[in-house]
Order: sequence, then C-alpha cells, then structure tokens
Amino acid sequence: MNSCENIRDSIGSWLDGELSPSQSEAVQSHVATCGACAETRRQLEKIDRTLKTSLDAEAVRVDFLPFWREVQSRINRKRSPIEQLVDWGRDILTAPRVTWAIPAVIIVLIGILSLDAYLPGWKFGAARNSFAAVDSIDAHGSSVALLRENETKTTVIWLYQDEEGENDAAADESAKSGPTF
Amino acid sequence: MMLLPTNLRNRVLLFSLLAFAAGTTVLAAEKNPQSVQVTIGTILVSNQNDDFDPKLKSMEKQLRVLKYRSYRLLKNDTQNVPWQGNKVFEIPGGRSLTVAPQEFQNNRIALKVRLTEREKPLLDTTVTVPNKGNFLYVGGPPHEGGNLVLSISAAAQ
Amino acid sequence: MELTDSELVQKCQAGEMSAFQELVSRYHQKVYMVILGLLRHREDALEVAQETFFRAFRKINSFQGGSSFYTWLYRIAVNMAIDAQRRQKRNPLDFRENMDDLLEAQNEVAQDPFSDVHDRELRESLVKAINELTPEHKAVIVLRTIEGLSYKDIGEILGCSEGTVMSRLHYARKKLQDKLSAYL
Repeated sequence: MNSCENIRDSIGSWLDGELSPSQSEAVQSHVATCGACAETRRQLEKIDRTLKTSLDAEAVRVDFLPFWREVQSRINRKRSPIEQLVDWGRDILTAPRVTWAIPAVIIVLIGILSLDAYLPGWKFGAARNSFAAVDSIDAHGSSVALLRENETKTTVIWLYQDEEGENDAAADESAKSGPTF
Repeated sequence: MMLLPTNLRNRVLLFSLLAFAAGTTVLAAEKNPQSVQVTIGTILVSNQNDDFDPKLKSMEKQLRVLKYRSYRLLKNDTQNVPWQGNKVFEIPGGRSLTVAPQEFQNNRIALKVRLTEREKPLLDTTVTVPNKGNFLYVGGPPHEGGNLVLSISAAAQ
Repeated sequence: MELTDSELVQKCQAGEMSAFQELVSRYHQKVYMVILGLLRHREDALEVAQETFFRAFRKINSFQGGSSFYTWLYRIAVNMAIDAQRRQKRNPLDFRENMDDLLEAQNEVAQDPFSDVHDRELRESLVKAINELTPEHKAVIVLRTIEGLSYKDIGEILGCSEGTVMSRLHYARKKLQDKLSAYL
C-alpha cells in the first residue's frame, strides 16, 4: 500500500477503524503529509457528519410512547386469515435453513421426474402402456404368428422357418413343434 | 423471498434457476433424445433339457409364455443407435438383426426391425416399444436343436 | 442494574412483554434512523419501523443468540426498508415535500455550525445523492455512518461478506464525493 491513489482508496476504511495496525499507521503517516489525501479525509468526514446530523435531528422527534403504543396495537390486533397466511409464508421463507429448501425442493422434484432415467422399469407418468405394439409385419413369404399375453404384457412375433443348416433333423423337429402359445 | 437480504436472495434465486435449468435439460433430453440404446438378447429355447438360465431371471415370466423347457442366454448386445440411423446386431447362425429407431412419442419408441439370414430378409416389422419398458420378442429361427428368441428393448438417451 | 440485550430477549421469550418494551425503548430511534436513511420519507419510515418491531416480536423465539440482538433487529429493519423502497411509488413532488421536511428538521437542531446557506445546500444535495444510490449501497452508508457498525456487523445484517461491505462503502463514498464536490 504505497501509492497515493491506493492510500486514498483506503481512507474510508481507515476512518472506519477497519484497517490493520500497520496499514492504519501507513495511511495516517501519509495523510499527514499529503494535501490531496488530507482533503479526501476532510470530505469523507464532512459527508459522514452531515448525514448523521440530518438523521439524528429526525430521530429525536420520534417519541417512545406513541411509537410503543402503535407497536403494541399491531401485536394485539387480531390478524385476518390472509394476513396470518402471509405471515406464515414469510416465516417459512425467511428461516435461514429453509432458504435452501426452495432449490432443494426443485431438485427433488426434478429427481422424481427424472427417476426413470436411472431406474429402468420404474414407471412414471405417461409410461403406463407397457405393451410392445406391432404396427406391421412382412415375413417375406414365411408364416408368422403374433402373440400378446395380457398377464405378463408379453408380445412375441414368431417366425416359422424351415432350417437350412446342418442339423436338419433336429431343426425340423424344433421348427415344426414351435412354441405352444 | 422478498424478505431475504438481497445478496442471499440473489444467490438462492440463481441456485434455483440453475437447478431448474439442469432439471429441464434432463427432462428435455428425455423428451428429445439424441439416440436410442438398443439391447438385443439372443436366447436359445428348446425342449432338450429342463433348465432356466439365471441370467434370464428378469424376463422369466414372459419367456415362460412360450412353454419351452429350456431357456439359455447366448449373448446380450447393446448399441447406441442414432435416430433415423440403424445398427446391425449379429445373431448366431449367420443371421443379423438391423434396428432403426424412427420416432419417440409419449415415452414410446418406434423401431423398424429387419431379421436377415445370409443377406436374405426373413422378417421386416415396425414396432413401438415402451421406453425402458417391456421387451419385444422375435422368435423362430432354428438353432442347435432349438429356436432362437431375440429380446428387443430400447431406451431413449 | 441494567439488563443486557440477551437477558431482555430471554425474558421476552419467556413471555415478559415489559422486556420487549425495554428493547423497543432502546432501539426505536436507531431503527427509525436507519430506515429513514433508506426510505427518505418520514411517514413510511415510521410505519416500517413499527412493523419491524412487530415482526421482531413475532419472531423473537427464533432468535437463538447466534448474532447480537441489534444485528438481528437491523437485519429485519433493512430488509423491510429495502422491500418498502422497491414498492415505493413516490412522485417527484412528494419526494421534494419530504426533503423540505427533513431539511426543516435539521435547521431546528441546536445552534450548530452547519446552519448556514452553504451547508443547507450541502444537505439538500446529500439527501438527493444518497437517494440516487442503489438500496444496497444506501444500506451500507446508512449503517456505517449512523450506527458506526463494524463491517462484520454490516455484513451480517446484509448477508454479505466484509469485503463486499468495504467495496460498497468505497463505491458509495466515491459517488457522494463526486456529486457533492461543489459543496464539500
């Protein structure tokens, strides 16, 4: 903290008593020898003084008893249901711990809505129709069967095919028997 | 909120906005998915044995509908398939299954599916499956004394 | 022997209205000054000050002594004043009338070296310049100047760091110096 400009910027904090002892000493020594900084100090003190004086003058006009009577009447006055609701809402929203409840609730809601991204099979909202639906089938000349089983919500497309591979006998047997739907 | 100190109020508002933005991004991603994760299970069903592969436990109730005595999982393949694109899944016996996602609506995914054997199409079908929901089964191709059953499921990404 | 604020708060929490009355007696003028410094309108400031104590009474059981009573009280007062300020829809004429009231009050203050024309102009300009600050800058200037509160206390009241208090004060004072240079 050496340059005049830096010190001038610190004069307010110095006057407020918020600088460390060493910083305070540096500012004090500089202000004692620098005309510009001394002028800044004078101006800041004058602003402070003028503001304080103007409001002090107002404050002394506020008598305690009428003020207290008004506060008491607010305390004793029966609040309407709407006022009570607003008061309750204010209390909830201004409790420091609950301040973070707002984003927390948003995150929880988002988490619930996004749950099925992380838990496959967890059904939410629109995913109620859990059957696979078959819109078209072309078996290119072969026989095909479509099975839908309600209890297990199973959809099966079964293609009846003749085996062309090595194990013809066994394959024929299997292909002819097929599943028993 | 109006009664919080301004700085804290601004922080809470900003945090809430960020949380909301993050959440809508997640939800928006679901509503406008970039691709589809398709999983094809290749299952050998037969009457040669009496066994049920424990790996198929999650679909046992559905597979039992076919009333075979033996169920064995041969392979499980998962691929990300872009919308309007397609991916090929190799199936035993010189076969392949081509899956092409078409549309995502009401949390259901429309797929075009083609089963091919040695370049020859066996089956073309257009299906709609629930997103991350129940499987569709395509069965029938003979294999090793039994038949192949392909379980098809899709999850929007 | 005079009871401390903490002792009075405990008595309030136990249901002693007289303890709360004593707290009001101690702080009503200071709270009014802070609010007036922010609102610059006498009737509004009075009303908000009374409401501040009503709110404090309602919430007295939630005061757990984590901060001093006066910083807790000023926090309520400043928040209400800033709220009221945002709702304030004063036309310029109303504002000028109130300014005159304030200046008249200043002139009634004891024979002081500030009652000359030059100082009157300074006060008029100061009131106007302060009113042009944002609520947050006004709050730090008022709390520091009138109450002589530490940056730490001001930060607690306004919910910001000491560094923020320091920079806001610096900014507010610079602005006031610039606007009032002709009168300083």
